[in-house]
Amino acid sequence: MPTSDRIPSSLMTFFVTSEPIGDGGNLGGLGGADAHCQMLATRAGVSGRTWRAYLSTQARPGQPAIHARDRIGTGPWYNAKERIPDYLGRRLQRPIIQSEIHGDTLDEARRGSNMTKEFAVTEKGELVNGIGDPLPTRHDILTGSQPDGRAFTDAADHTCNNWTSNGVGSAQVGHSDRVGNGNQSWNSSHGTTGCSQRDLVSWGGVGLFYCFAVN
Amino acid sequence: MKLQMKTVLVLTAILAASALAPSIVAAQHGMPGGTPMTFFVTGEPIGDGGNLGGLAGADAQCQKLATAVGAGNRTWHAYLSTQGRPGQPAVNARDRIGTGPWYNFDGVMIARDLAHLHGDTLDLARMGNNLTKRTGLTEKGQIVPGLNDYQVPRDSEWEYTKTTPYTNRHEMLTGSQLDGRAYPPGVDYTCNNWTSNSDPAPGGPQVLEGRPGRPNAQIGFPDRNGGGNGSWNSSHGTTGCSQTALNRTHGVGMFYCFAVN
Repeated sequence: MPTSDRIPSSLMTFFVTSEPIGDGGNLGGLGGADAHCQMLATRAGVSGRTWRAYLSTQARPGQPAIHARDRIGTGPWYNAKERIPDYLGRRLQRPIIQSEIHGDTLDEARRGSNMTKEFAVTEKGELVNGIGDPLPTRHDILTGSQPDGRAFTDAADHTCNNWTSNGVGSAQVGHSDRVGNGNQSWNSSHGTTGCSQRDLVSWGGVGLFYCFAVN
Repeated sequence: MKLQMKTVLVLTAILAASALAPSIVAAQHGMPGGTPMTFFVTGEPIGDGGNLGGLAGADAQCQKLATAVGAGNRTWHAYLSTQGRPGQPAVNARDRIGTGPWYNFDGVMIARDLAHLHGDTLDLARMGNNLTKRTGLTEKGQIVPGLNDYQVPRDSEWEYTKTTPYTNRHEMLTGSQLDGRAYPPGVDYTCNNWTSNSDPAPGGPQVLEGRPGRPNAQIGFPDRNGGGNGSWNSSHGTTGCSQTALNRTHGVGMFYCFAVN
């Protein structure tokens, strides 16, 4: 098998977790979520990278907010799979770009990024079930973030109490297939009602999140 | 069992209350009270590459396809820009399509208004409109085949594609910039205002963008997947303006149609 067909590709610096932690919005805080990213990457045979979960936490007394976009390095980031050959026979591996996925300029926001259902695959190179696929839908991806990748600044909970609650609260989620709720946001489509595993499932997710390598 | 049924009901209620609902009740098209179609992707191309017979020819194609499915009572316009010429101002695609909201075959809203469709503010652009692979339907309610649907090596050959309707054909002619407006005069982004089916001279650079003297059309993706960005109206250019050239990058010369009334 050619090197380029190996999954995960040696270029992989981005994936959607193939499985949730399983306790709803309680991820054990950012530390627990990062460890989950690291564990899945290691299990897939990837070493030598530092992985961060794409999650924000909200400010608390004496504890500033943390913005998901500031945690993930600078990119560009590649997924687990090579792309199919294009019309010239080139095996393009298009990455996602920090400013494009967050739409930092109006042109970038309008044009969009390479974050598609086909790009947002797991560390095993598998598609994440979205709208129209067999149930259960798993496309709600925990982020706790606004569309620009930053933490919410209001008093309401958007992070399941900074990823420690499996009961009350709410988590902002995006859609890995870019479909649902009348918008196409990959990182900030809607909130959930509740933070239990069952609550997440009722909205079309299982508690997956995005992992980025910072190096 | 009882508990499971309750969960299903709760889930159904949540879905029904959200914007996911229209995709689930798609079968209601044509039922009394359904939202009439005011947007579609052409189900078939004109077939002469970027020569659409100008804007009028493209509009007529929209009208013809709409009429064939019983929607000819509206005035349909193609979402296409033309570039300025001496004594002839540019025409912006966004100025041709009315004010919205626009609904697809299934009665699902594509966009509320021009600002939502084009992402006129940073917030709107980041969230996107509701044109996706599942909503970018033809006048017959078909999903437009895109990347990964039916991968065969010959899917970029027109002679094969024209008789194989399920191969990738997701590039829509627009001739427009991201904001829905025409490109400045000079470099071709509109196959000479939709009258040209010619290709660049052999041996030139293999690019997908306008260059001086190079026949080219700007395209977008209803399935939001291609060109590394997924723009619905302004992702990249073509290898030329012939039918063969359009197909080389997985277009067949289809375009978007909007009802202006």
